[in-house]
Amino acid sequence: MLGSSLNLVRRLSPRFRRWGSCVLAGLLSVGSGTTATSTRNQTLSAAISPNGKLSVPGSVALISAGGPTFPAFTGTLIVSYRARTTPGGSGAITLQITSDFSPAGGPSGSGGDLTYTCTGASLGTNCSGVQAAGTLSATPLVTIPASACTGGGGVCSVADPNTAQANFVLANYPAFQTGTYSAVLTFVISAT
Amino acid sequence: MISRPQRLLWPLLLGPSLGWAQFASTGTTTLSVTIDSAAAIRIDTPTTTLTTAGSTFAAAYTGTTNFTFKLRTSQASGTGSITLQVTADFSPANGPTVAGGDALTYTCTAASGTACSGPVSASTSSATAVASFGANAHSATAGDAGSTSWSLENLPRYVTGTYSATVTYTISAT
Repeated sequence: MLGSSLNLVRRLSPRFRRWGSCVLAGLLSVGSGTTATSTRNQTLSAAISPNGKLSVPGSVALISAGGPTFPAFTGTLIVSYRARTTPGGSGAITLQITSDFSPAGGPSGSGGDLTYTCTGASLGTNCSGVQAAGTLSATPLVTIPASACTGGGGVCSVADPNTAQANFVLANYPAFQTGTYSAVLTFVISAT
Repeated sequence: MISRPQRLLWPLLLGPSLGWAQFASTGTTTLSVTIDSAAAIRIDTPTTTLTTAGSTFAAAYTGTTNFTFKLRTSQASGTGSITLQVTADFSPANGPTVAGGDALTYTCTAASGTACSGPVSASTSSATAVASFGANAHSATAGDAGSTSWSLENLPRYVTGTYSATVTYTISAT
């Protein structure tokens, strides 16, 4: 094919001979039929660190069963959370009254009027017994062990997100003035 | 102008943020409670035995019933009361009878509120006052003490024997 192409160029006029030579050279360099390849290896690494995130409802109303015996006010709250701990680490969910009941004249968190129990943790261990919610320090809700992880099953929990329940009990004292009172609770999750 | 492919993309962009809870390292919840008026009473003397001190008919049969009450009335315009009524007259027959006009009277004490101004004649047909309370009234957490001291006239026509009546105490608060 190359010989016939060169003969064709020779029979052309000098002007067309120069043009044809350039085109022929370009076609030969593009369509020669060989491919050069080269490979390199790239190492990807990701450091998976411990982490914890939670979500709680914006409000919870405490309700009394009513009746002549001054029954306590009760209510429940579901905490949704995701956590990942290291083989030597741990995690925790705690709560604290960050704004005590107001206005004055009603229940008092700092006075010990609010207690809770913990149930239903789908990852980790519920707090033990009756806890007194306080304003000065955080109190436990869930303890998360080492090598814990949320979702996917296997070595991790099946549930995603995980959930735990806080069951609140607020004393009902005759001394409380009638009215509506509110307090703010802050939940914190940590993981190492 | 928004193309059809762009319109289809919007639910994919907005959907996850609309249906997914916000997860973070901390979260806050507002606890709320409404405190209403409330009242409760406990009778501390299950059976009040009326006895007479003397051997003459002038000496009435007397005894005291003790009770404890808890109460909370509304701040602005609440009220409260403790009343009693003879809901079962003395039996068996041939003894005292409140409905028949035999005088069963009482005086009152109350650690809070206003005790009745006695002596008050107990009745089988209507409740009678023991104590009253105004707005923003609060008993102690463990309750406040009260009592009714009874006097039953000692009439010769009573056939000898033991007779019993039932008195019902009622507390209310608004």
